[in-house]
Amino acid sequence: MKQKKTRISWGGIALLVCGLLALTGFLASQSTRASAASPTFVRIIHASPFVGTADIFLDGSPLLTSFAFGAVTGYAAIPAGPHKVQIALVGKGIGASALTETLTTQPGTVYTIAAIGTSPQNLSLEVFVDNNSAVSGTAKVRVYQLSPNSGSTNVTSDGQALVPAVTYQQASNYFTMPEGACTFDLASSQNGKSLSIATTLKTNTVTSIFEVGMFNGSPRAELVTTQVPAVPGLPQTGSNPFAILSDGQLSTPWLLIVVAMLFVGGTLFTRRLFAGH
Amino acid sequence: MLVPRPGRHLAFLALILIVCCGISGCGMQAQASSQAAAPASVPKSRQDQQMTPLPVTTPIVQPERLVIPAISVDANVENVGILPSGDLETPTKNPWVDTGWYDEGPQPGQQGSSVIDGHLDRPGGYPAVFWLLRNLHVGNEIEVVFSNNSTLHFRVTDVEYYPPQDAPLQEIFGNSNGKFLNLITCAGDWIPSQGQTTLRLVVYTTLM
Repeated sequence: MKQKKTRISWGGIALLVCGLLALTGFLASQSTRASAASPTFVRIIHASPFVGTADIFLDGSPLLTSFAFGAVTGYAAIPAGPHKVQIALVGKGIGASALTETLTTQPGTVYTIAAIGTSPQNLSLEVFVDNNSAVSGTAKVRVYQLSPNSGSTNVTSDGQALVPAVTYQQASNYFTMPEGACTFDLASSQNGKSLSIATTLKTNTVTSIFEVGMFNGSPRAELVTTQVPAVPGLPQTGSNPFAILSDGQLSTPWLLIVVAMLFVGGTLFTRRLFAGH
Repeated sequence: MLVPRPGRHLAFLALILIVCCGISGCGMQAQASSQAAAPASVPKSRQDQQMTPLPVTTPIVQPERLVIPAISVDANVENVGILPSGDLETPTKNPWVDTGWYDEGPQPGQQGSSVIDGHLDRPGGYPAVFWLLRNLHVGNEIEVVFSNNSTLHFRVTDVEYYPPQDAPLQEIFGNSNGKFLNLITCAGDWIPSQGQTTLRLVVYTTLM
């Protein structure tokens, strides 16, 4: 019986090895896909002149108790998605909520939520998307105009206008300032009155200035400031994998390739030379 | 008649293999290496070397070493800040073997999100300190050794990949709902035109 002769194809093996290496790399690269369900970050300011000290409920559970007018919370992480927010006078219970509203938040987004209103019958929540990313070496500042009868507000420091006038229920663009002591002046276009506040700005922080209250009424208009650390961008922790020169020297992988090619070329040349004899 | 020449075939195969190995070693970062990232052999802390002891001052306690047994990392911790670009700085004294603690945020173990970064690879594609960070899984333990020789233990709670422009920065740097330590390095493919990789790897951990 004639046995079938098996021939080893070196070229085929080489292609197979290359294919396996390529496949390994491809599969490994596919494992680096993003999939994140990040929380939302929310802070709340009580800027509603017509609601006294209040209790705030989130999705039916107490979130803040005895939350006074002008108070600002820190940023709290909550799951992204729809949330039912209710505000009631302190101690009255969730059943006596003066405001009920559902807000939908996006994953990874940072919000300031202000309880505001122009009258006892007109309470609402104003939502601002914040950006606390760092601008290196400077302090970021933003003004939130939450005073119902201030009209548009001009923001200055040392007589210099810092941003275009900010109207009710608006926040200014972020602007940067050098670190150090600073006084901000907010002048109302509606009644000619102004408010000032002195603060110390630190580098790599974000300062918020909230204008709250009533210029002709109670609670009186005031400025509230908070300062939070700015968040840096993600670092660049990779290196050029194709870099040939590193610190004036040939990087090792490329050196390996060059030596290997010289070796193989030399082998081929030598064999050909001897084959000719 | 053609005569088979095994030598030529062998040489051809060797060439293919060597070129493939060379290219993959050159930082096609997708290729998972079985080599452990070389444990960092690191001098004593900068604090110890440079601080002149004063009679009554209390020494500043800060993170000195990061130990990740699961991937054989035992690295010095440098202090890092924010670059002019606004991005987190990377270690500068020994960039490939040290890690960098963001010292404008909380210390590991304090309330909030502490962050430590480290390089994935070196120029040419060779592994750096966080080369194997991708191999961590939920439940792995991480240790931070402080300059007073105290140690805190953290447990991995999540491993995520983000494009750098879409990362949840507040979650990584500003989550104050717990005592977190988040480790960051690069991942994905190298983009020559941008001088960076396509993704960042964030390993979230919490104090045990």
